[in-house]
Amino acid sequence: MSAFLEARGLAASYGPTRALDGMNAIIGRGEIVALLGENGSGKSTFLRVVARIVASSGGELLLEGRPLAAFSRRDSARRIAYLPQATDLVFPIRCLDLVLQGRAPHARGFSADSSDDRDRALAAMRACDVEALAERDASAVSGGEKRRVFLARALAQEAEVWLLDEPTAGIDPRHRLEFVELLARVHRERRTTVVLVTHEFDLAADTADRVILLRAGRTVAAGSPEETLTPDTIRAAFGVESRIETDGRGRRRIVPYEPTR
Amino acid sequence: MRRRTVGGLAGAAGLLAVCVLLGLSVGGVRLSFSDLVSGAGPAGETARLVASLRAPRVLLAALVGGCLALAGAALQALLKNPLADPFLLGTSGGAATGAALAALAGLSPLVSPAASFAGAVASSLAVARLARRGGRLDLQRLLLAGLIANAFFSAVLLGVFSVASGQTARTMLFWMMGSLADATPGKVLALAPYAAAGLVVLLAFAARLNLFAVGEENAAALGVDVESSKRIVFLAASLLTGAAVAFAGIIGFVGLLVPHAARSAVGNDQRALLPVSAFAGAALLVAADAVSRAAFAPAELPVGAVTAAIGAPVFAWLLLRNP
Repeated sequence: MSAFLEARGLAASYGPTRALDGMNAIIGRGEIVALLGENGSGKSTFLRVVARIVASSGGELLLEGRPLAAFSRRDSARRIAYLPQATDLVFPIRCLDLVLQGRAPHARGFSADSSDDRDRALAAMRACDVEALAERDASAVSGGEKRRVFLARALAQEAEVWLLDEPTAGIDPRHRLEFVELLARVHRERRTTVVLVTHEFDLAADTADRVILLRAGRTVAAGSPEETLTPDTIRAAFGVESRIETDGRGRRRIVPYEPTR
Repeated sequence: MRRRTVGGLAGAAGLLAVCVLLGLSVGGVRLSFSDLVSGAGPAGETARLVASLRAPRVLLAALVGGCLALAGAALQALLKNPLADPFLLGTSGGAATGAALAALAGLSPLVSPAASFAGAVASSLAVARLARRGGRLDLQRLLLAGLIANAFFSAVLLGVFSVASGQTARTMLFWMMGSLADATPGKVLALAPYAAAGLVVLLAFAARLNLFAVGEENAAALGVDVESSKRIVFLAASLLTGAAVAFAGIIGFVGLLVPHAARSAVGNDQRALLPVSAFAGAALLVAADAVSRAAFAPAELPVGAVTAAIGAPVFAWLLLRNP
């Protein structure tokens, strides 16, 4: 597999705190890769470095073999979309305007409101079943709806890479399942490369082509969900004991049951 | 441009025109609108003469109000905080202290905008430094840091005031209270380029500010060079505040109230909000100045007292609405 996005010994810090400490990762074009690890293991930081929110402090980060820093910020924003874990909106903003922000990296002076931008934004909202929310204030929609609005925004951004930070955290089971379906459908249609951070073993096992396990800012295991999510690697990454079960539909399920003593 | 934007701009410009007429007619000698507009007959001639004496003051009020409202609107979007305001964040206090120290040092009044700009920038940097926590600006700390800065600057101003004598003390008092009484055509001409420069820079960053209004990380992820944009917007806001304070002293709450009112009229698109705020801020300060002259004529209230009397209750109401 050739690398589309690659990290080699990547390091990043928040002040004195080291969040990434020599992380390695190879992500192929069109893959869905799940990033797992305990809190503070560096998963979100990796996304934030790739999204160019946080600067790396060492190692290499390559997009198609070129250092990401060699791309202009705007250029990388055209190619990489980032969905934050949660965004609290202080000011009122229409859902459509929020989705239109996804067009900003493509627009002159970040002013995206041509009729073409509008069409693309509305098409993206249609694809994510949030067209009806276009005129609604985004701070007044439910958490599940907001997630879909942000996904529509990533769609409107027409980026090749999506970085999703815990996309299913804090939403109810129905919206969670709908979101997973939507993600799978959009991925199928666009062959977008997806890097998703999650704490859900099941989400990783069901959606990801590959899994990367992190601990203390380093990669401890990488590979297919079956070979990566085993009781041994889970013990190494999370410090919990787990067993593998098969659910009613024949899917492999990881069940953590106690902290490793 | 959206219809709402055009409507907002036209509304704010109309409001400014009405306030300017009001500002020209109100004062020790009351002038009627019709005499003022027609300028015919002896009454009309007197009206024109009085109005020409009042014009610099009205224009200065308009420019100062516009500068403060613009600075407030830009800071609110940049910091994603509807309570950001050059007065509350200590920028105005820093500017006044810079100007006062320059006056105390016996420097020419011509350098007072520069001294005031330097004070505004120094204060912004110090407040931002105090409010920084774990590499990001913490909003609660930002308001507290503003409080600290204001306490410090008012101590410096009061200290300078008590040791200064005569003319210098009068100047200090002017900077502390905020006043448009010393308006001259020269001051209007001197302030205009600062106001224009600030407006041009901020309008160029308006679309980026829209991305900041959702969050700094949001702006970064959408391709904005966050650090350089922050620096430029901060400097532009400090320039506007510094220039306004240099010519009119500390006038609070304009930067807080106006963007809020403008936002409820045209929404939070900075491309509309910034120019509408500029017009509306100009209108508010012209009106407040008219009130300050008319309320207890022939005695005058400091215009800062008028804006604070309107601003403090509105600020309290905002605080209750944004817990």
